[in-house]
Amino acid sequence: MSRNSLKWLPAVVVPAVVVAAVIAVPLQAGAAVDLPDKTPEQVLLLVHDSTVSTFSGTVSQSSDLGLPALDLSAGMTKSMQKSMTESRPEGAASSVPEASTIGALSTALDLLSGSHEFRVYAGGESQSRVQIKDRMAERDVVQNGSDVWLYDSSSNAATHLSVPADLAATAESKFAALKSQLPTDLSTPAQLAERFLSELDPSTTVSVGTDARVAGRSVYQLVLTPKAADSLVASVSIAVDSQTGLPVQVVVMAEGQSAPALQVGFTAIDFAAPDADRFDFVPPANATVTEQALPDLPDRATGDHTGAQRPTAAELPRVTGSGWSSIVEVPAAAVPAELGNNPLIDQLTNGVEGGRALTTSLMTVFLPADGRMFAGAVPLAQLQAAAE
Amino acid sequence: MSSSDVLPAASHSDIPVRRGGGWDLLGSEISVLFRRRRTWAMLVAVALIPVLLAVAVRLSSSTLAPGQGPPFLDRVTQNGLFVGFTAMVVAIPLFLPLTIGVVAGDTIAGEAGLGTLRYLLVAPAGRVRLLLVKYAGAALFCLVATLTLTVSGALIGAALFPVGPVTLLSGDTISVTESLLRSLLVAAYVTVSLLGLSMIGLFISTLTDVPVGAMAATIVVSVVAQILDVIPQLSWLHPWLFSHYWLGFADLLRQPLDLSSFGQNAIVQVCYLAVFGALAYSRFVTKDILS
Repeated sequence: MSRNSLKWLPAVVVPAVVVAAVIAVPLQAGAAVDLPDKTPEQVLLLVHDSTVSTFSGTVSQSSDLGLPALDLSAGMTKSMQKSMTESRPEGAASSVPEASTIGALSTALDLLSGSHEFRVYAGGESQSRVQIKDRMAERDVVQNGSDVWLYDSSSNAATHLSVPADLAATAESKFAALKSQLPTDLSTPAQLAERFLSELDPSTTVSVGTDARVAGRSVYQLVLTPKAADSLVASVSIAVDSQTGLPVQVVVMAEGQSAPALQVGFTAIDFAAPDADRFDFVPPANATVTEQALPDLPDRATGDHTGAQRPTAAELPRVTGSGWSSIVEVPAAAVPAELGNNPLIDQLTNGVEGGRALTTSLMTVFLPADGRMFAGAVPLAQLQAAAE
Repeated sequence: MSSSDVLPAASHSDIPVRRGGGWDLLGSEISVLFRRRRTWAMLVAVALIPVLLAVAVRLSSSTLAPGQGPPFLDRVTQNGLFVGFTAMVVAIPLFLPLTIGVVAGDTIAGEAGLGTLRYLLVAPAGRVRLLLVKYAGAALFCLVATLTLTVSGALIGAALFPVGPVTLLSGDTISVTESLLRSLLVAAYVTVSLLGLSMIGLFISTLTDVPVGAMAATIVVSVVAQILDVIPQLSWLHPWLFSHYWLGFADLLRQPLDLSSFGQNAIVQVCYLAVFGALAYSRFVTKDILS
């Protein structure tokens, strides 16, 4: 009998060891790190002085914004999908605004919900590549000097944008501006950190949290806490690599939610320069290639563009409030007309007093019945008050 | 361990004989497995998946828009080498686990059901060695089944469609030779993916004398794992389901080659091998062999 019970020992011990290892290994990866103490200013200086321009790594992004669960394809009717597909070969995506708006919107929503993994390559100032790993598919954004390629493997379509040579000096800023217009989210932790660090003003408390380990690097944690009590953002912590000063992780916590609302961070990083041919993108032979003109940016529309598309003052968004509780008001003239009768918007928003609203744990959007749009990281009641 | 229990007085001179006995046992197990008409029928069915896909695409007059149907199906008409990848995506959720369930579920229960298990154990083979040999046979079947699918996909694709440089998911293009290497890597990935399920099948097979029951239970386990994998409330469990990385072989079709999911998949499978291997050992060495 005791011999038999001894033989059952492996059946108990092995699963226990496996479960213990599964739990212990991630804990060990986050084992306590002790770095020389730094003040918040010193850590900010470390970020500012960072000279890292070449690296390759894997970024994972997850968000828990409390967005309503929705079927993204349901927002598009069959005819819309058809018109989108048909519009692609002519490269006329911009001439069918409803289709491209919905397409961009569902791409943006797709990136904001759930979790995603990217592979990121940076080779100096003007070379970068982001690969969004989808299930059985991939979306690529490749920048090499003045050439920008977008490639989507599921539709096998490539889009080429080029920055004119006379603007080469400002190509970098153009690219940054362009990135904000692309339907895909290019946020590396560094870019996201920059975005939050630019918010630093008297409305924010900055402190240094406990040292930790991210992607195998020991990091300082810069914690930004809004002083305004009415902001939906509880805190933002930025993990700064202690050796290079590169922000490697950003975690945004929302008020009244224990899980991070947004988390973007490297899971692996290598500071060696990536292979040069990583940035030489040649569209595959059978792909649909679209040449797209660079969207007109305000500072470029000076000469022959005679301001036809320049927004007038009445169309410009207006910001009220300051710091974390600022509210952006978009006048009715500037709100795309398609937004009003978009089935996806109906699905996303709830009817509230005076209009429709989208509430997430970090951000609220209010669409009053008069066509204006209000957005901010504040509770809905404040947006409603601002709309009056 | 248990072989020394069976033969406590084994002397050193016995060792080469017994080792030879183990290899003989493995050889006979493999030849029995691959001489079975059932095994051949399953391998032929596996080989028919890419053939059916390719013939259907070839005979169809309508062209698929990109992104329609199973992954890569729209590329098949341009490049026959995609037939194998599409067939793998189609086969891995149900068909491959089905064949693995039949082979792994039959291992011990089949012998018990036929009444041959005790004869196998009368020979100085030992229960541990019998388990190892049975598992090796099931694992070899995983490899042969995935290779059959890959080779048949490449052949039918080359026969019916043009063959040329392959476009990877990242938009980069690789040569035919490199794409064949990647196909073999995908086959290796899928083989590794199925090892955990094979061990679960072996364990279930030690629980019963009715082979059909063990086969059905193994297949049910694989279906249940895949259902759990799509329930968002169980997301903490997902990385530890043996079926979670089954479709992750897409990472082998990126440029540069991404081996991270290969590694994660292998770790998960090793965990299942260890847990269900230990359970199968404990169950089998304490089992009363009555048939």
